[in-house]
Amino acid sequence: MRKTVWPLIKKVTLYILLTGATLLMSFPLFWMISSSLKTIEETNSPGIIWIPKEPTFAAYNNILQNGAFIRSYANSVFFVALAMAGTLISISAVAYAFSRVKWPGRNLIFFLMLSTMMIPPQALIVPQYVLFNKLNWVGTFNPIIIPGYFAGGAAMIFLLRQSMAQIPQELDESAFMDGANHIQIWWEIIMPLMKAPLATISTFLFVGLWNSLLAPLMYLQTVDLYTLPVFVSTLYNINQTVQPWPTIMAAAVLTTVPLMVIFFFAQRFILESVVMTGLK
Amino acid sequence: MLSNPYINALLTVLGAVIFIVTTSLGLGYTARWIAKIRGAKARVQEGAFAGYLFAAPWIIGFFIFVLIPLCFSLYWSFTDYRVISNEPANWIGLQNYSKLLLDDDGFRQSVVNTTYLTVLGLPLQIGVALLLAVLLNQKLKGERVFRMAFYLPVILGFNTAVLLCWRLMLNTGTGIINQIIRGLSNLFPPFGYLNRSGIFIQELSSAFFLGISNSNFTLLRKVWEVGFPSEVRVPLWVQSPLWSKMPVVLLMIWGCGTMMLIFLAGLNNIPKELNEAAEVDGATKWKQFWKISFPLLSPYIFYNLVVGMINALQIFEPIFILYRDNQPLVPSAISMVYYLWQASFSHFEIGYGSAISWIILIIILIITYIQFKMQDRWVTYDLY
Repeated sequence: MRKTVWPLIKKVTLYILLTGATLLMSFPLFWMISSSLKTIEETNSPGIIWIPKEPTFAAYNNILQNGAFIRSYANSVFFVALAMAGTLISISAVAYAFSRVKWPGRNLIFFLMLSTMMIPPQALIVPQYVLFNKLNWVGTFNPIIIPGYFAGGAAMIFLLRQSMAQIPQELDESAFMDGANHIQIWWEIIMPLMKAPLATISTFLFVGLWNSLLAPLMYLQTVDLYTLPVFVSTLYNINQTVQPWPTIMAAAVLTTVPLMVIFFFAQRFILESVVMTGLK
Repeated sequence: MLSNPYINALLTVLGAVIFIVTTSLGLGYTARWIAKIRGAKARVQEGAFAGYLFAAPWIIGFFIFVLIPLCFSLYWSFTDYRVISNEPANWIGLQNYSKLLLDDDGFRQSVVNTTYLTVLGLPLQIGVALLLAVLLNQKLKGERVFRMAFYLPVILGFNTAVLLCWRLMLNTGTGIINQIIRGLSNLFPPFGYLNRSGIFIQELSSAFFLGISNSNFTLLRKVWEVGFPSEVRVPLWVQSPLWSKMPVVLLMIWGCGTMMLIFLAGLNNIPKELNEAAEVDGATKWKQFWKISFPLLSPYIFYNLVVGMINALQIFEPIFILYRDNQPLVPSAISMVYYLWQASFSHFEIGYGSAISWIILIIILIITYIQFKMQDRWVTYDLY
């Protein structure tokens, strides 16, 4: 008797704990959506309103009629797309060099690349600012796009290199026999096999760029160029007597939608790769 | 000249691509030429060409965006260089460093705050991550959904929009978190006591750390004299210097998904036979966890600790979003990277900012070095 009841109790307790934790962890998300459907009075009311009785889409209407919001959305899409394209192509070329080609100095440069992972990007913001200032790039998108084209991101190169190194070398050999060159082998043979690791890397890259605040804040000095995080941060302003919370939360929902869509489709790759790099 | 920022960016991208392709080809041909001079075989020459051609984007980028800036910032850290003024940089020796280490309240505050987060925030974060990992590791049906839900905050974590939602939830008067605390305290008096003792402990420790950073402990004495908080007290999340670090701790706990996945990997690595053998010998689950799983997890705990510490000194977005408009609170929550940004760019003091960058770099290198050294002593690898 005891043998059959005990595992059941254990299972139920576990499910209760896990569901409770899930509710707690996703509560901010729920609150964001719920608040975006409220009126300003409701968001500032002293009582708890879990779900507004009469949900209103006025906040969405408000934010979608705000030209600066639409513009910042377009800016974010523009800069993320350009930066991602350059980064993905350049890091896969570099990963190819480190995995499929034998060349003098490869180990030394690979070691150098790995050691740059220890340099925090923030330690470079001051001198890089001077560099971009000298190039007259402050006040343009260039500082947040161009560095990606130079294969920024040692961790991503490393991840891709590990996957490329697992492809049997005979594949290249036979292609060489058929008269293919390295560019063709890279682009036509290796790259099509890299869909899964590239999906993982793209996701991390997208999330990092979409959320990035510090660099856009430093370099995009006019409202016209603001990316979403910078623009959304200006919506909250302590000098306003009443914060337009529903509008801010509607903007927040619209900002996080792309993240959630990407996460939903890529979570299989992400969760596995985090575990893999944890395993080392 | 070009008023449209999008066309400007596209043209610069085109220019950058042309630059990268030509320099890569140049590097490739040079490598082949050197190989040829050294009398290498044709195959080796080809390898040298292709290798340097493909690796060139990183090599060039490393020089332009990492190595040269680092060298310049090392030089500037010994000067009074400012980017706005047209005056050349003057060599001032170690003045920046001595001012920073001995005579800079902001920097000291950022160090103390990072210590606070490491000593009080990180153990909580690691504890929650470990708990969630152990729960997930029971291999129940639907584990995948739970894992997704626990990892999602990492993706959303430091997005401005989500941080603003936290700002709304943390409002002292009408915020949902304090409303729930009030409601629960009214419903169950024991919870009220729990809440009040939590407030007391938090305020005491926070006042202690603030005392260290201001070298003035009157606040700590005041908190102690006021004594146990009254029944109506709620946390003052984003309102008081005593509380300003707690939202960051909450955000750290909320974003523990990466740590959780690493622990999950660690738990998967533990051989099942060990637990089975212990069970046969009559060990309880509790005992199995502390005697088998926990020691075998110590490398992962240590890894998370080090990464967590490095992350704590780089926190920027939460402080910017939560306290930017409430300047008096910034010093009590400031992180090293936030201080770097504030000190360098409020007056464009590149020399001073460079000195801060180098200190941060050195601290991170020291932490990483200690990790490598301590691993053997602190961590059990050889229980197998």
